[in-house]
Formats: sequence, C-alpha cells, structure tokens
Amino acid sequence: MPTLIKSQGGRMVLANDPFTHVDDEEALPPGDVILSLARFQAEGDRLLSDGRSVGVRLTTEEEVEALAYDLPRIAVVALKFPKFLDGRHYSNARILRERFKFTRELRACGDVLREQAGFMLRCGFDAFEPADGSTPEQWERATRRYRHVYQRGVDERVPAFVERRS
Amino acid sequence: MYRYDAIDKEFVADRAAEFREQVNRRLAGELTEDQFKRIRLMNGLYLQLHAYMLRIAIPYGSLNAKKLRKLAYIAKTYDKGYGHFTTRTNLQLHWIKLKDAPDILEHLAEVEMHAMQTSGNVIRNITADPYAGATADELDDPRVWAEAIRQWSTLHPEFTFLPRKFKIAVTAAAKDRAALRVYDIGLALRRGRGGELGFEVMVGGGLGRTPYLGPTIREFLPTRHLLSYLQAILRVYNRYGRRDNIWKARIKVLVASLGAEEFARQVEAEWEKSENEPVDLPDTELARIRGWFTPKFATLPPASEIFEQAKASDPAFARWTRHNVHPHKQPGYAIVDVSLKTPGLTPGDITSEQMDVVADLGERYSIDDIRVNYQQNLLLPHVRLDDLPTVHAALEAAGLATPNMDLVTDIVACPGLDYCSLANARAIPIAQDIARRFDDAERAELIGELKIRISGCINACGHHHVGHIGILGVDKKGEEFYQVTLGGSGAEDAALGTMLGPALPADKVAEAVEQMVEVYLRERTTGERFLDTFRRTGVAPFKEAVYADAH
Amino acid sequence: MKALTGNRLADGEAVFWKDGRWVERFAEAQIFDDDQAALEAEGMAKAQGTVVVDPYLIDLVDSEGLWAPLSFRERVRCLGPTNHPQHGKQAAGGEDVEALRHAHGAARSTGRVNLIKRK
Repeated sequence: MPTLIKSQGGRMVLANDPFTHVDDEEALPPGDVILSLARFQAEGDRLLSDGRSVGVRLTTEEEVEALAYDLPRIAVVALKFPKFLDGRHYSNARILRERFKFTRELRACGDVLREQAGFMLRCGFDAFEPADGSTPEQWERATRRYRHVYQRGVDERVPAFVERRS
Repeated sequence: MYRYDAIDKEFVADRAAEFREQVNRRLAGELTEDQFKRIRLMNGLYLQLHAYMLRIAIPYGSLNAKKLRKLAYIAKTYDKGYGHFTTRTNLQLHWIKLKDAPDILEHLAEVEMHAMQTSGNVIRNITADPYAGATADELDDPRVWAEAIRQWSTLHPEFTFLPRKFKIAVTAAAKDRAALRVYDIGLALRRGRGGELGFEVMVGGGLGRTPYLGPTIREFLPTRHLLSYLQAILRVYNRYGRRDNIWKARIKVLVASLGAEEFARQVEAEWEKSENEPVDLPDTELARIRGWFTPKFATLPPASEIFEQAKASDPAFARWTRHNVHPHKQPGYAIVDVSLKTPGLTPGDITSEQMDVVADLGERYSIDDIRVNYQQNLLLPHVRLDDLPTVHAALEAAGLATPNMDLVTDIVACPGLDYCSLANARAIPIAQDIARRFDDAERAELIGELKIRISGCINACGHHHVGHIGILGVDKKGEEFYQVTLGGSGAEDAALGTMLGPALPADKVAEAVEQMVEVYLRERTTGERFLDTFRRTGVAPFKEAVYADAH
Repeated sequence: MKALTGNRLADGEAVFWKDGRWVERFAEAQIFDDDQAALEAEGMAKAQGTVVVDPYLIDLVDSEGLWAPLSFRERVRCLGPTNHPQHGKQAAGGEDVEALRHAHGAARSTGRVNLIKRK
C-alpha cells in the first residue's frame, strides 16, 4: 500500500489509508474508493447507498466548483498533480476550504514532493501521497522551515502583519 | 527606506538556511537536477554559459550604502569584482559557484537582502518609479505599495507554481518611469472622484515573443483592496493560464485570448466571491510600512550660489547637470543620475570599486538613499544643489559621470550570447560599437533624447520592443544578425516598435544607427525628439537610408 | 565529429569529456568520430549526476585542421565572453585559444546535436 502522510494535531504522521484509488477502466475493489470525477458522477450514488465511503479525484483540468453540489457526501477530495510544477490545485484547495468550507480530508496525490509540504499545508491539504519516498519526519521538517509567513493561508499560521500588532 | 524588523530578518535567515540544506542535498546526490533546478531558480541561481549566475533582488530598486557595500564585497569575494544591473533593477553576478551560493545568501541576509523569487514561475521583484519620494509629481510614495506587495507575494503558498513568471510594477506619477504597460500587472496610483487614492490596474502587458500593451481592466481600485484584488487576478491566472506551451503561458496571452472585458469580468467575479478582509492589509500595517519612507530633508533655499557658479565656470559640469540632474520636490535638492554607460564599456556593469564610491556618495550626500532604474543606471535621489559639484567630481573620477542619460549612448543591452544560455546573438558588442561611434558629448547632446534598446534574443530582456531604436539579435545559420525596430516607447506614451526591414549583419548595425540618426537630424522640426520625428514621418525615410545599398 | 560537454555541478565551469574524466580546455577534449562511442560516453556522463549537470554532445567542424564547435554559442563557452578577454578560459591564452577565436565554419547558434537520435 502506498504511503499516506496525514497532518494531525499539527504533526505529520504516517497513516493507514482505507481508500483505494480506482481508475476509470478498473473493476471496483471492495471497501472505500477514490474515483475520478466522471466515474463518481456515474456510480457515486450507487456506491454511497451501498454504505461505502467515496472520494473524488480531480485532475488539474477539472474545476473544483464541479464538486460543489456533492461535497456533503464526499469523504475525501484528492487533487492529482501531473507534475509538481502544475500549481492549479493550490487554488483548488484554497477554494474548497475557504469558499465551500469543505472540512474533510483534502489529499495531494501524483507528483507530490516534500519540498511542497509547506505550501500544500497552507493551502489546506491535510493528506499527502508522496512520490519521492519521503517520510513523515521529512515532511514535518519541511513545514517547520520558516518561523514566519507573510500572508494568510488556510492553516492557522498568523501572518506577519498580525504578529506585528502583538 | 524600508528596514527589516525581527520577522523580516528571521525570514531571510530561514531562507538562507533552507537553501544551504538543499544545496548540500544536491551535491550529495540526494536531489536530482530536475528536482533541484526549481529550487535553485527560486533563489535566483541560473546555470549559464560559463558559470552560475546569481540574480540578487533589489526590491523596487532601493538600496542604501550598507547594502551596496555588501554587494561590492560579494562581487569581489565570490565573483570577478563587478556586477551587472538589469532592466528589472536587480543585480546579476555572472561567475558564481554553486558551492558558494549558501554563503552568499547568508551575507545578503546580514544586510536585509536576498535572491528570493528573482527567477522561477512566481511573482518576481516588484519595481516602482525610481524617483519615488523625490519627485513633485507623485500622488503618494509608490514604494509603500511595492513593499506591501513584496511581502504578500513572498513564498505565497497558492502562487508558487504559476504557469510562468509574473511581474508587477507600481507608479504614482503621471510620468511612467517604470514601463507599466509592458508589465503583467501595472499599477498606477490615481486620485478618485472623491479625492481618495486608488489604482488604475493594467493587466496583460509584456514583451518577448508576443509583445502586448496591457489594457486597463479596472479604472479605479481603492488602495485598501490592493492585495485582495491582486489575489483575484493571480488566481484567475493560476487556474486558467496556459500550461501547454511555454511561449503562450504568460498572463498577456490569457488576457488577449479572453479579451480585456471578459478577463476583467472573471477577475471581478473571483474578487466578489472571496473574502477580502483577511487578505487586505490593515491600516496599521500600511502606516508602519509608510513610516519608513519619510526622509528628513533640510530646509534650504531653492537656489544655490555654489551650484550656479559651478555651472557658469565649468562647461563639462554644466553639461552633466543638463542631462544627469533632475528637479526635486524639496527646494535646494536635486535627483542625480549615476551613468553606467561609459561609451565602449558594457552597459549596466559596475565594478566593486565603483559600487563603493556610489555607496560613500549615497551615504554622505543622498541621505543614504541610492536607486536603480530599469535603464541599467543608478540614482542618488536626494542631493543638495550645494553638493552637486563635489558629487560630480567624485563620480567623474570613478567613471560614472558620462553626461548621457536618455541620449544615444545611454544604451540598454542585455548580457546576450556572451553570458546567457538563452541568447541567439551577442548584444554587448553591438552596444559598444554604437556608443563608440557616438562618443562625442556635443554630438550626443545635439541629437537629443534617443533610447536604444538591444536584446540578444526574443525573450527581450533588453526591452528592444520599447526602444526608440530597438535591436534584436537573431541567428541566421550561425551568424549574428540583427532586426531593427523603430518607434517603441516604455513611457506613458507606450508603444511597440515597428520593424525597419530585413535583419542586418552585425557589422552593419552601428552604421545603420548612424544613417538613421542622419535622417532624423535632416527631417526633424523644432523640438522634435527622434521618437517624435519617426511618429510623424513613419518608417519610410529611415528604411530608405539604411537599405539604400540594396537598390 | 563530436565532443561531449556539460557544466560542472559545484562551480558551473564548462567542461569537456576526455576518456572518462572532465577537462576545462576544449583543446584537450576527446573528439568522437564514432557516433556509437559518443552516445556511450554521453550515457556514462549522464550517470555522473553529482559531477556534471546536463551533459550533451556537440557537433564539430574542421577549420583549417582544427576541430572547432560548429555553433557560435559553443565557441563562446570554450573561450569566454567577448567583452572581457581577461575573463573565462580565453584568459589562459595559448595557440589553441587563438585558433578557436579565429575559426570559421560556424553554422548555427545552438550547440546541441540533433536530439532525435540518428541510427
């Protein structure tokens, strides 16, 4: 089972992953699954009424607004990075958290490297499938590199201009 | 100028420490070049033809003596004793070793400097009017806003992996000394109907393969909404900018393909949907930043006997004041240009010794304030008229007083194929050839304002599109050829240059410039600059003169 | 004919392959007359990720008995910036530097061998 790192209580920890990513052509395994948007739209209702937890995986071409109506029923939103340089999902993550108030697991998958840990956390990701073999300790370190931040993110970190007031 | 508080200092220290660790991991093979390259670029470190090149950030072109002395030290200790100021008001060092880069970043951090985000697909160095705080025609000090944007954009978690680089410029005067119309975002401070301050927001300007003048997408944005509105623009760009083709990835392409109106609508829609209050800076923070930009001027009489006497008795000094000295908002003061355009030398280059001279002069005679502008020259913004002769003498002794600002020998040229891996042709020798031909102060003065801009490739770092004469190096079967354009302007009358004719071989370019100058001198009416004459006559007489042999 | 070049990781210096190691002077570079050998060397060089960055083969042209890089850019890499003759490899002087400076036959500005592998 691929590694899943989760941010819990302010720390990065190794986590069990009850979910299985399923491609569009694959047969569905038992248990909780993460589907593409198209497959979720086709089969999501049925799977949810079977009692499974279902997650949706978006590509960078897909808009997070497409999930708005279904969010209350979605257990996990997985945003897939085709290349770490493609930064569209950082905006998607923030919109999901700040605009749609999504509170469940927001996962980064695909070309996910520990160098992006800090940015991802601050945009609202709380689960990570690293592609570079990195460990929760390495992710923890990466998020603690900077004592200050200059702007507000989704996380609780206080931006410099607020720090300065105190 | 803005001074770092504990937070700012810790930030650059953390950045330097992070980079040191990343370099060590790269040298040990724990990071591949592919993975490391992005990191390296985020700290302004390029790999070029001969060595690594470090691009040090000079936020909105603002320096003081301590910083400039440190730059001189770094150039001397880690490079070959010189640096190059760019059209983005940063400093480049062309002979850097990767293993020295962490030490250099630490040195920079000591003087409140860094090399963050001077490369990569991120928001780059914010530029502003180099006359900020010194000119009577500004509505506010644009540096306040440039600093606010600088901090907001630093390691912004949402905008660190944009489709392409992103450049923002700010002005606050009617005259545009920062080329707003060819920026990704140009912000011009304006006064609203009720007298309040706001920004005219221009988006989608740019040079390069497909140059555009940025349309105004919002006539008036109250200043308090600056950051939230920028967030909306950047978010639309981050989501919808093209990522399939590096040549179509800038925001200018998105704006052009949607049309300014639709682009503006999308930005407004995004802005409406977002909660802006958490993003915009509180008044207290703006006031704190503003507090750093209030220099203490002395109360002086508007005229200076010493100054008048020197002009009357020394024609060289008088000439220098005609071109390199400008009116200041405070009586008894002047803005002084420091020319890095000695004919025959490399435009924009400065030695460590010269940097120390300018640092000393800035500290002593310019309230410790030194600026860089986007024409690769420096400024001492607050010099007393009484001190001008002394300052001139010191600059002249250091080779920094060529009286040629905005004249034919004040050429902007990118490093070109002599240094840069992106280049198709050399730019520096062309600049040197032209400058040598016109190396006659009287003749240069007679010709008047003539802005020549030379780029070694289509990336246009030499700003050739907005040159009165623009020169673009192209490769024709391994030989250097140059395409000439006329009539560009980066000022408030912004325009992109018109092509003159077929590309010229390297040894014909300086001659062509002479021929075109002859046409101008022949055709001009009273008061017309080169640009004005071109706008009146069009390209025909210039084309005829340059390509006459072909007939 | 080809040569193999790259930039040294630690300091960015342009270097040239010679029998499994890297030299700083183009005059000492190994000249490949056999495409197979050139590609093999390139493969070995690419495996030296902590020594050299992005090694690549360059085409050479015969200029009066001297093998010179076909591209003008590669000649600049071999010599140094033309605005500062005291900087870069050219500062060392010597016959090979002079010969390279005056070599003719440059045919295109980019240095790399055609990225589509030939048989």
